[in-house]
Parts: sequence; C-alpha cells; structure tokens
Amino acid sequence: MTTRMDVLMWAQRINAMAKTASPHQLLDMPKDAGADAAQEAFQKMARMAHPDLHRNGLTPDELEHVTSAYAAVANAYQVYRQNLMTTSRMKPINPGDPMPSDVPATPSGAAPIGSAANAMSSRALVYYRKAELALKRGDLKGAILQLKMAVASDPQSAFLRTALIEVETEVRKGP
Amino acid sequence: MAIALGIDLGTTNSCAAVATPTGVEFILGQRGERVHPSVVAFPASGGVVVGADAKRFRLTEPSHVIHSAKRFIGQNIRAPLVQLALTGIRYKVTEGTNQQPIVTVRDRRMTMPEISSHVLLHLKRCAERQLGTSVSDAVITVPANFTDAQRQATKEAGRLAGLNVPRLINEPTAAALAYGFGRNQDQLICVFDFGGGTFDVSILKINGEVFEVLASDGDFFLGGDDLDRALAEVLAAECNRVLHFDPRQHPVLMMKLMMGAEAIKCHLSDNDAAEGEIDGIDLPNGEVGSLPFALSRQQFEELINGYVNRTIEVTKQVLAQARLSPGQISDVLCVGGSTRIPAVRQRLAELFRRQPNISINPDEVVAQGAAIQAGSLSGSITAGTGMGARDAVLTEAHSPLLYGGATPTKGTLQRPVLLDVNPSTLAIQTAGGYAEKLLEKNAPIPIERSRVFSTARDMQTRVEIDCCRGESRRYADNEPLGKLILDALPAKPRGDLKIEVRFRVDADGILHVKASDAESGAAQEASLQVIGAPTAGPEGSA
Repeated sequence: MTTRMDVLMWAQRINAMAKTASPHQLLDMPKDAGADAAQEAFQKMARMAHPDLHRNGLTPDELEHVTSAYAAVANAYQVYRQNLMTTSRMKPINPGDPMPSDVPATPSGAAPIGSAANAMSSRALVYYRKAELALKRGDLKGAILQLKMAVASDPQSAFLRTALIEVETEVRKGP
Repeated sequence: MAIALGIDLGTTNSCAAVATPTGVEFILGQRGERVHPSVVAFPASGGVVVGADAKRFRLTEPSHVIHSAKRFIGQNIRAPLVQLALTGIRYKVTEGTNQQPIVTVRDRRMTMPEISSHVLLHLKRCAERQLGTSVSDAVITVPANFTDAQRQATKEAGRLAGLNVPRLINEPTAAALAYGFGRNQDQLICVFDFGGGTFDVSILKINGEVFEVLASDGDFFLGGDDLDRALAEVLAAECNRVLHFDPRQHPVLMMKLMMGAEAIKCHLSDNDAAEGEIDGIDLPNGEVGSLPFALSRQQFEELINGYVNRTIEVTKQVLAQARLSPGQISDVLCVGGSTRIPAVRQRLAELFRRQPNISINPDEVVAQGAAIQAGSLSGSITAGTGMGARDAVLTEAHSPLLYGGATPTKGTLQRPVLLDVNPSTLAIQTAGGYAEKLLEKNAPIPIERSRVFSTARDMQTRVEIDCCRGESRRYADNEPLGKLILDALPAKPRGDLKIEVRFRVDADGILHVKASDAESGAAQEASLQVIGAPTAGPEGSA
C-alpha cells in the first residue's frame, strides 16, 4: 500500500508534466514498449495510485489532484495503445529476420526489422524507421512526412506506398 | 466507518449485500427472500408498497404498479426503443422537461429516479432492520452500456433514498469481482450478463487484485422481459384461436399472460415440456374461461432463437474488440436469470468450447461484487471493522472472500483495483454533419482529455457544441447526448479566442466538462446539458 505522501508526490509530478510529456514518459516506460509492457506499466500505476484506493486518506482537493493525475495517465495509456494498433497494422512484423548489413543504425538501436522492409533501399529504410517512431509518438503528420521521404527515395517499393496510404487514411478517419 | 451496501438495482429484481471480513451477507426481505422484485405499487388503500408485496397488485391494479423502471430511467422518452418499450407497460408515462419520462399514478407525477428510489429505500430499510445499524452508503451497479444520463439518474435515485453513492460500478465488472476477488489468479474471463431487461458482455483480465476490463458491449433493450413478451404474444394468439377473443386490448389479461409466460419459461429451464392452463380469463360475455397450453422446450427455443443469436453476435464483437479469440478465455461467467435457459448455456459452450461457469448464483453475483467494492471503498473489508463481530451467512455456492478454502487473514487481503472502461465512443458534431471522436469506446476510466475550440464568428460570446455517443462517422446516426455550452466568452475577432475544453469521464462513467481560456488559463463556464438527465422535479423547476 502506497502511503499518502508517496501518492501525492506522484500526482504532483504527473500533473506538472501532463501537458507536455509524451505517453511513454507519463507511463514511465521505454518509448518502444509493446502492448503487454504498456499494460503492465499502466496496471502498476493503477495498483499504486488509483483514486479509489486513496479516497479515505485524502482531502477532497488532494483526491481531485490524484484523480486528475491518474486520468492523465489513463489517457496516455489509451493514446499509446491506439498508436500501437496503427503501427502494427502498417508494419508486418517478422522479428526473426536479420538486419541487412548495409543499413545504418536506426535511432532506436538494432531493432529487428521486418522482411518486407528488406524490399526497400537502405536510404528509404531510415526514413521508414523514423516514420515508425513518429507513429509511436502519435505524430501522424510527422509519420506521413517521413513516409513521403521514404517513397521518394525508393519509388519502386509497393510496401512503402501502401504504408503511406494507410497512414493517410488513418489521419482522414479521425483525430 | 459507516456500513456500505452493495446494491444490484435490476430491471425485474434487485438484490443487496454487505461485505464483511469473513464473507458476504445478503439483505433479506420480510419473508427471508434474497431477491427483491423491483416493483413499486401505489394501491388504492394508500401508501407505497415495494418488493414481493407490490407484485400482488399487478393483477388487481395494473396501472398503479410500476415495474421495469430501469428501462426508462435517464432515458430520452423520444428515443424509438423507449417508445417501443412503452407499449409493453400498463402504467402511464408522459414526457416531462428535458425529454425525461414521467410516471403518473393517482394524480401524482413522479420521475423515474423517484420510482427507483422507493426500491432503494426499501432495501436500505431491510438492511437497517437486519444489521441493527443505520446505513448511509451504497455502491449501486448499472449495466455496462448505461449512458451518462442513465448513470446520473441512478445516482439521483440513491440520493433521493437518502443514500450516499460513492461509486456506480458496471454489473459485469461487479460479477467478475465476486468471481475473482481473493483468488489471486491471473486469467482472462468473459462475463455474460443476460438479465431481466438488459444484456452485457465484458472481457476482463484479472491480474491478482487488478480487474482490467478489456472490452465491453451490450444491448440495453434485450432481456428476459423480451422473451416473456414473445411467449405472451404466442399465448395471446392461442387465446384468440381457442377462445375467439383477442386479449391484446386488455391490460389485465395481457399482464396475466405475461406472468404465465414467465412461469412457463422458468419451467422449461428444468423440464422438456410445459403443459397446463391459464385460469381466470374474463371473457367479454361475462364468463370466465381458461386457456390450455402445451409447449415443448424445443418450441420455446425456436421462439427465442433470434434473441439468443443477438447475444452471441454481441459476444463475438466484444471478443474482436479485445483482440482475443474464444479459445484464449479461461472462464465464462454466467450472470442474470436469463442465463438459466439451457439454450443460452449451450450456445455459449459452443462458442467458447467450454462449459460456462454457473457456480455462483446468477441472480446474486452482481450484488456480491458490489458489496465487495463497497466494503473496499469504506475500508471495512480490510480494516476488519463494521461487521467483524457478526458471522456472515455463506452464500449458496461459496463466499467469495473464502474462495477455495483459503482463509484470508487481515493484511493479506488486497483491496481490489477496478479498471473499467468508457462504454461507447463520445463525439462532437463538426461541419458537414460528421462526428469527430473525443474519446474512444473501451478507453480506461477515469480518463481526461482536452481539446481546443475556437470561435467561428467575430465578437461571438457563446459556443454551442453538440455531443453524441455511438460508433458512426455520421453525427445523425449516433445517439445525441446533449449540448456543450461555453458561455460569457470575451468578444474577440473570430479565431482569436482559443478555449481549452477538458473532458473527463469519471470512475462512475459520467462525463464532466471544464473549459478554460487556452492562453490565459482563466476558467470559463461550461456545462453539458444531458438529454433525459434528472432535473429537480417532474416539472424540472431547477
């Protein structure tokens, strides 16, 4: 059981960063965390800070403070999950494939890449990687820009063109 | 710490319980019954009668007996499904302010929360008599797909009954809590809640003391009442054929057929055939006739097949929303009286390839879960206060607090953490009649999200935004929720004013809206006028 002071300090920290922080920062997890890791991170916070667990020990103002922080974390979890779904639809995952040797290191380190990604030039792959990262951040416009760059570097890749269309459709569909 | 009840406020029946460190104790009625009919009667002799006693007046004074109030509470009376449900009742309902339904009985005009508050007050009094102490708090359960207005109206009913309602919880979640609390297991379960008036399915991931709802959906107008009505229609046709007399114009007779249908339905859950006659049918020529009937279980199953198909379809959709296949679910929990129907259980077994779990009484499991949550919120489960000295009555199947023979000792029992979800997408109307999503279905609650709005005309001081709930991209295809009004804005050129609106869905599933000037941070007035939401009285003087 978390003490009153612990949860109040947590709430203060979350509320201070809620407006500017990205979802993974609010959930206190790596930016490339998968769906299971995100769920675990959210449940860990819920175990510690769910307002229902603290309603008896806090004043109404303090409880509102904790609820507001928790609601921000819940939103971060929801946004992160939604973005993961968008990403996973765009990217056929095949973790067993080796990295092509001529590919420069991607920003996220030597993450395994999909076989479909092999069908593009190394230049395009860098842009594609950046698009993926933008998607994880929830930055759909950024992702489109990077995908357009990728398509420009490798106009032959049907995979990239499909990815671009998918993300553009996603943007048109909703916020 | 005050004692907090858990109340399952059902369409046809209600049930209340209180959790203690040793188990869950049910609140009994005058005759020792655990299940209390959600029926309120205003008999000619005066006064208000609730529960089993009120049911007696159904045949003598059908227009003064209010049942199924849950179907209308917090509803927009103009909604097509509400209009349809109104054809099945025998008491008078008219439109009040804010499009809320108003009941008129013996020249008294009452809101639906007032009717439900009589049921809650009855349970409160039974509890106080049984426990020998005053009861001030109650956790009340609602169907998972209840709207904002329905939730607000249910809270209002609690307030009118003199109860502080610290939390509304969703019925399937409550059932999962009763099932999984104290078991300390990790599993994925499906709760199939087919009650008297509503149908809900939720998929939950239980992880120790954390109960996370992954997806939830349902049909608010689908329940045992509909099955009764389908069967009553068959009986009415039979009456027309045998007795040459159409009973559909006669409220008392139809009520009698409905009651007969309910009895036949229950009988067919345990038997292959039902045969007998319904007596006391007053014929137009002054004679009293009787209607013989003979129905096999198979015939009944064919009759209700459409309804059962619908429940299975919704269950499949919820599985898809949770991105799970039926094989990944490790247990299917049956909740609600309609899950006693063998055909329902069989279809569930076919879908999940496993027998559904019926070890907990489907009529009582929701109240058990509500009681556990009430005990957790008030601290009486873990702190060992409240009912500690009393011996709790063990439930028929088992006490959820003593599941599997494990004896929870003080300190080892973790308070449950319920992570419920937003039941349906909230959206606002944008240019061209489209609905723009504010918050997705199945997002965890409590949750807060903000959006920035701007004025469209020069010197505009008022912004009205139409809100709706539903999954359609077109605004008109969704269910209107109400208007969000931003008032008394400073007059500025169009687009100059940026208003940040924060939408929060609280842990009760109720939407709150706050607005502030995005640049200065100065607070603005914002309110969401929810259609069908309770107002102060039947005339809405507030």
